[in-house]
Amino acid sequence: MIVHHPSEATLAAYAAGTLPEALALVAASHLGHCATCRDTLSTLEATGGALLEDLPPVPLSIDALDRLLGRMDQPAPPPLPILNPELPAPLNRVALGRWWPVGLGIRYRPLKSSGAAWGGLVLAQPGRSFPRHGHKGREMTCVLSGAFADQDGKFAAGDLSEPAADHDEPPVVIGAQPCLCIIASEGMHLRGLLGWAQRMIGR
Amino acid sequence: MTKTAPPEGSPDYAALIQSIAQRQDRQAFADLFAHFAPRVKAWMLRGGVNPTAAEELAQETMLSVWRKAHLFDPERAGASTWIFTIARNLRIDTVRRERHPSDLMPDPSEEPDAPVQADRMIAMSQQETRIRSALSLLPPEQSEVIRKAFFEDKVHAEIEKELGIPLGTVKSRLRLAITRLRAALGDLA
Ligand SMILES: [Zn+2]
Repeated sequence: MIVHHPSEATLAAYAAGTLPEALALVAASHLGHCATCRDTLSTLEATGGALLEDLPPVPLSIDALDRLLGRMDQPAPPPLPILNPELPAPLNRVALGRWWPVGLGIRYRPLKSSGAAWGGLVLAQPGRSFPRHGHKGREMTCVLSGAFADQDGKFAAGDLSEPAADHDEPPVVIGAQPCLCIIASEGMHLRGLLGWAQRMIGR
Repeated sequence: MTKTAPPEGSPDYAALIQSIAQRQDRQAFADLFAHFAPRVKAWMLRGGVNPTAAEELAQETMLSVWRKAHLFDPERAGASTWIFTIARNLRIDTVRRERHPSDLMPDPSEEPDAPVQADRMIAMSQQETRIRSALSLLPPEQSEVIRKAFFEDKVHAEIEKELGIPLGTVKSRLRLAITRLRAALGDLA
């Protein structure tokens, strides 16, 4: 049962294609679990379609169609390979670095893609607190397995945390299982051990 | 296939895409190109893409329409919506060198039982028509944030600066707009 959802602003940015890749991957991890947000997304994408339909057309060069017709027999690029079969889509097709210890009972595995935001997987053992993220720009966490709790409540598989900038209490893993999350942030300066790891790994 | 007739006078673009999928129909492709390529180019230009790249991205979008026509499912998305998502993903790929997660998802045809909820099994061309009329009825300040979000490749913090209103207000206007758009589809469900 999903309790914590991304904001409408986040879903709108996802639909419009303006959310940086790392943050979009966190949102996509939630969407895989949440029919309500998939429904909102489908409304938003239909909004994109309606806005496209209503735009005053800008003509292409006169031979644009002919040039394209000449290319239509070229084969389509092959689909992207599955790199991490143990992870749910879309994370299974994303390039990831190795696991790094970033504290007692906490490991971090960065996304290799570079972009306007950075992110990765965090695996924390029961009772451990997650390192605090930076608080510059947007930050999101989606639970893949296990659970954590912070001042906003309990977060289990599929729940997405999008804390406000003044959110300071570190999340603590609850229950007997380790907690695996995908995290992403636009803030480039992280605090504590995760910040150290980020500097060591260079994203 | 049961579906509602498209609005008077406008071709059934979903049927044209299906015609490409079924028999590589080049005339259907030319008709789609004539309608959508200039709109995709316009959308790219609004997003700040330079004219040469906008022209190329419009062509790449239409090439993807040709190649992916067999993946188009009219029960999941209308033609404009489907083409919008292809254009969006290509813009991200070209302009930001990033990917949209939907490009990392398996093709629906590879999914053994891709979940189409019974209540989503409505004619999507009708959904697009309703969204368009709901958009035209939004209060101007809500319509403005929705248009900026989709046209200008701007993060919400930039919209905040540009409109000179707090980020919280940008977000609440978006929320109100989305609620209205969803409500417009509510009785279709
Ligand atoms: Zn949700």
